[in-house]
Amino acid sequence: MFLPLRSLLKREYLRWVRAPTWIIAGLLTPILYLLLFGQAFNLGKLVPPDPRAQAGLSAALLGAPNYFSYFAVGMVGMVAVTSALFAGTGVIFDKQLGILQRTIATPVRRSTIFASSLIFRGLLVVLPIFIVLGLALAFAQIPGLAGLTVTQNLGAVGLIEVLVAIFVLAIAFTSLFLAFGFLFARVESYFAVVNLLNLPILFTSNALYPYGTSPTWLQNITAYNPISLAVNVMRENFFGGAYYPHPAYVYLGGLVLWAAALGVMALLLASRALRTK
Amino acid sequence: MNSSDAIQTENLVKTFPGGVEAVRDVSLSVREGEIYGFLGPNGAGKTTTVSMLTTLLRPTRGRASVAGLDVVEHPREVRQEIGLVFQDSTADGELTGRENMELSGGLFGMTPAECRPRIAELLKRMDLVDAADRRVKGYSGGMKRRLELAVAMVHTPKILFLDEPTIGLDPQGRAGFWRYIQQLRQEQRVTIFMTTHYLDEVENLCDRIAIIDHGQIIATGTNDSLKERVGGDVVELRVPANAADISATLTSVPGVGEVSRDGTLYHVRCPRAEGVVSLLVRACDASGVAVEGVSVERPSLDRVFLALTGKAYREEGYDDGRASQASVFRGRGRGGR
Ligand SMILES: Nc1ncnc2c1ncn2[C@@H]1O[C@H](COP(=O)(O)OP(=O)(O)OP(=O)(O)O)[C@@H](O)[C@H]1O
Ligand SMILES: [Mg+2]
Repeated sequence: MFLPLRSLLKREYLRWVRAPTWIIAGLLTPILYLLLFGQAFNLGKLVPPDPRAQAGLSAALLGAPNYFSYFAVGMVGMVAVTSALFAGTGVIFDKQLGILQRTIATPVRRSTIFASSLIFRGLLVVLPIFIVLGLALAFAQIPGLAGLTVTQNLGAVGLIEVLVAIFVLAIAFTSLFLAFGFLFARVESYFAVVNLLNLPILFTSNALYPYGTSPTWLQNITAYNPISLAVNVMRENFFGGAYYPHPAYVYLGGLVLWAAALGVMALLLASRALRTK
Repeated sequence: MNSSDAIQTENLVKTFPGGVEAVRDVSLSVREGEIYGFLGPNGAGKTTTVSMLTTLLRPTRGRASVAGLDVVEHPREVRQEIGLVFQDSTADGELTGRENMELSGGLFGMTPAECRPRIAELLKRMDLVDAADRRVKGYSGGMKRRLELAVAMVHTPKILFLDEPTIGLDPQGRAGFWRYIQQLRQEQRVTIFMTTHYLDEVENLCDRIAIIDHGQIIATGTNDSLKERVGGDVVELRVPANAADISATLTSVPGVGEVSRDGTLYHVRCPRAEGVVSLLVRACDASGVAVEGVSVERPSLDRVFLALTGKAYREEGYDDGRASQASVFRGRGRGGR
């Protein structure tokens, strides 16, 4: 099982490092978001500098010390979706080029084929997330730039919760889009559906805006959005849990359920696509 | 029915959803070490048959065993024993030839150390040493086909399936490819099951041939036995218009069947033209008739096929009597039926 998995991962890796445009664009996008949106939409500037108003802002931002800190964590959710968007394209090209057929004709297990896609595509989601977090933290050290300021002492448990949230979020969205890759035969159909889902997923989350101002029905959806759940885990650990009705592990649990459900869906669609007809 | 058969099928049937009966009833057996040719026009059911034998499609009915293993009950074990060259190239263009071979070895559970000498050997055999570390997208058509063969052989399969492996190659490339196949067979003791459109292509290569049409095998046999059914080769000798009639002399040449004269042309039928041509020319010389031109017409699949199915076609209303050989195959492409 190990040798075939290793071979499939190596192939994915070779294809990836040989497509410099893909790498550069993929890693540059989150950095641009962070620089442009993060620095420009500094909502904090809209609020008068007196301490009461600033405290009100911090409450609206659910404890984050400034909008950039709030936003940077939300970027993790946004980057998870936008990087995972492409997760299913490789499978579709492999179908069209007959490469998947060739792979199926070898004794490799169907689950190994699925696992290799999930692992590699998942890593391509996790990588830009860590770049975003790293940059946002670095910005805080540069005078004149807004940056991500962590106000809490994370501790080992907190750190683990944050890391698990990031990986589980990556698994959830990679599974979702990978599932469409196994489902569809054409890239056009794939992107039609992916584009349809992309924005609703993002905008029903609290990644970019505190959702206190939205209508109740939307707040209910937002509460269960996997991005919201992941972001809540991180924000509680970074900025404190005073504004959250549940401790971080509750949100983490919800996120794990999402990932499990989406993972099972992807696995089912993959085994359907890889089955002998 | 023999347990040492490399491939054996019994009444194999594949009906696709929507009711297309791609394979209707195929029973065949391929002996170990044999090169078996599977001939048929477009849409005959060749690829579908190969797909069932290679566990990529599930038979609707019937049984098939490959390397002594049932394809439905032991698909993974079957896959371990076979190599596959598809009708379309399936190597990854972004990877080098060597990387494609390593990938294949890994998928068959070979360690990099096990792969390395095997790959080096195959690259040498296939004349791909210089191109081994270039990306496959830059390969020529012939190189790609050779690479497919090399990739299929990395894990030392017992049985090699080739589905129209020379498609898209020029005649030279085709001849070259067949040399590689012959070499492989000699050196690696592998059983080969191959499909093709061209009888001439398998003529010097295949030990036995099956002809399939409409999903049914309509003839099996050796190359010679099939050709005899349509009268074998025809040698045409062009002579001057005023030359004396030497039909009797030509008929007496060993290996010659029927002789007919049509103006300045003699049509000489013989099971195999090789060796006979020079005897015929010498016979003409000896009779004082100057030979102005010689041509050999080999029975094409079209002729064998028409001879075997001529009636069936007309019954199905493809053409009535005017059935030119070409039109039989045209209009019956993929999805045409
Ligand atoms: N997946 C499929 N679904 C429905 N019909 C199919 C499918 N695959 C093949 N067919 C049909 O089955 C018949 C046999 O096709 P097959 O590909 O086996 O022919 P072939 O002998 O390999 O032809 P060619 O020489 O063109 O490769 C054709 O009529 C084809 O249209
Ligand atoms: Mg075919």
